[in-house]
Amino acid sequence: MDTSGKEKEAMQLMAEADKKVKSSGSHSFSNWFYRVRSLTERCVCTGSRRGDGSLFRMTLNAIQSKMKDACEMYARAANMFKMAKNWTAAGNAFCQGARLHMQLQNKLDSATSFVDAGNAYKKADPQEAINCLNAAIDIYTDMGRFTIAAKHHITIAEVYESELVDIEKAIAHYEQAADYYKGEESNSSANKCLLKVGHYSAQLEQYPKAIEIYEQVATNTMDNPLLKYNAKEYFFKASLCHFIVDELNAKLAIEKYEEMFPAFADSRECKLLKKLLDAHEEQNCEAFTEAVKEFDSISRLDQWLTTMLLRIKKTIQGDAGDLK
Amino acid sequence: MSSDFEAYEQDFGTLTAEITNKIGRIPKLGGEEKTQLVLNVDKQLEEVRELMEQMDLEVREIPIQSRGMYQNRLKSYKGEMEKLEKDFKRSRIAYSDEVRNELLGEDAGSSESQLIKLREERAHLLDNTEKLERSSRRLEAGYQIAVETEQVGQEILANLHTDREKIQRSRDRLRETDANLGKSSRILTGMLRSFTNTPPQLSPIYVSLLSLLSMSLSYLCLSAISPIYVSLLTLLSMSLS
Repeated sequence: MDTSGKEKEAMQLMAEADKKVKSSGSHSFSNWFYRVRSLTERCVCTGSRRGDGSLFRMTLNAIQSKMKDACEMYARAANMFKMAKNWTAAGNAFCQGARLHMQLQNKLDSATSFVDAGNAYKKADPQEAINCLNAAIDIYTDMGRFTIAAKHHITIAEVYESELVDIEKAIAHYEQAADYYKGEESNSSANKCLLKVGHYSAQLEQYPKAIEIYEQVATNTMDNPLLKYNAKEYFFKASLCHFIVDELNAKLAIEKYEEMFPAFADSRECKLLKKLLDAHEEQNCEAFTEAVKEFDSISRLDQWLTTMLLRIKKTIQGDAGDLK
Repeated sequence: MSSDFEAYEQDFGTLTAEITNKIGRIPKLGGEEKTQLVLNVDKQLEEVRELMEQMDLEVREIPIQSRGMYQNRLKSYKGEMEKLEKDFKRSRIAYSDEVRNELLGEDAGSSESQLIKLREERAHLLDNTEKLERSSRRLEAGYQIAVETEQVGQEILANLHTDREKIQRSRDRLRETDANLGKSSRILTGMLRSFTNTPPQLSPIYVSLLSLLSMSLSYLCLSAISPIYVSLLTLLSMSLS
């Protein structure tokens, strides 16, 4: 594919579209004729017909069609930039198209253009992507489409997770997404977001929050026959967070969970927890390590679990050091 | 003279060979055979002693000059005979496997066959241990796979749940859309009726608008329609009637 040729074509289209926008008037002019347009619409509604009304409508339509052409050209230019893999330019073109749509009061088109801009910027400039996506989210929440807004919050949070490593903002976005999903009664998606929130807050040592989230999610999934096999994992994570805070808490918590959810008592995770509790009581580091190794030999511990268990182990060693 | 001596030597040789043989066999046998062999060996030892005495006499009759060699030989033969006697005595009280077997009541298996049996049993046991170890390793691997399968299953179930909710939501929205479309078609037919009833003093724009709307209904069956649009239609119809 002749990418440089596509780029040149795209640049030409952009220039043409800019010209069209300018020819249809500057920003102030477009605002003015917007007011005129709403006035003529009201005239139309009351049923009065005037000659100059139709004249206005004709000029308005001419200007509007030019703007619509400009929008379309912006979209085509952006697509060509995408083919040429010039992501910043593509994002830029999509953004301009989106702003034009806003002026034409096509909220839906504007939002979709902002989303396309965000996708294009994701590969080049994460910050710009987040800005575009935020604008799109505003439009969607304005329209009342919370599900889609939540989905884009998740996308933004993922960008914060991976490219601009800003865990706090990622947590905030995940929380927002979970709230929107809860509002739209999609509990599964809400749970997914909440789990991520819990995951990261525990990593950032915000244990009470993490405990609450995990307990909540676990009690929700406990009853559902599809999801109950996940519940024991969530109880396990909640107990680990309890453990880091305080050992007694952990014991009480485990008893509570066993009462609530008998299947948890049979799981290997519960057995591991009991062994860890015993080792912690006796301040026995080797027993702790051995129990963890045994569990690891069957199902490998992932990164979050290893971090948490290491923190618990340090508390044991810390206590032993204090005793000395 | 010396030929006699040599003849005595040969006899001595054969006799000692026989005696050694029998002495070797004595410990392995037991009971009747043993006593017989013992008597045999006894008799042969007597013969050997007699031979020795005759050899002695012969040597004395030899002139002193060439006596030395024969005397040496005689000495060595005497030593051999004493050794044989000692062996004989020892063999009679020798401790042999036979005696042990008789004591412990085992069948007539020699120590060698027992060793072979032991070796075989040991190899058999080692084989079994190896098989057990292999099976336990396989069991553990199987358990790991089962746990992994369970985790994968958990994820799949969670995904299914999300998809289920999405599908339910889409279905509800579709039903809503369907209801709205029905309402809008009813409004349009109402509009057409009022249109045909009252004489049309309206500008052609409204006619084109109405036809456009009725055409767009079929198009809107595919795309989303919002209730706002329906309310707009009601407004229009109210304005017309």
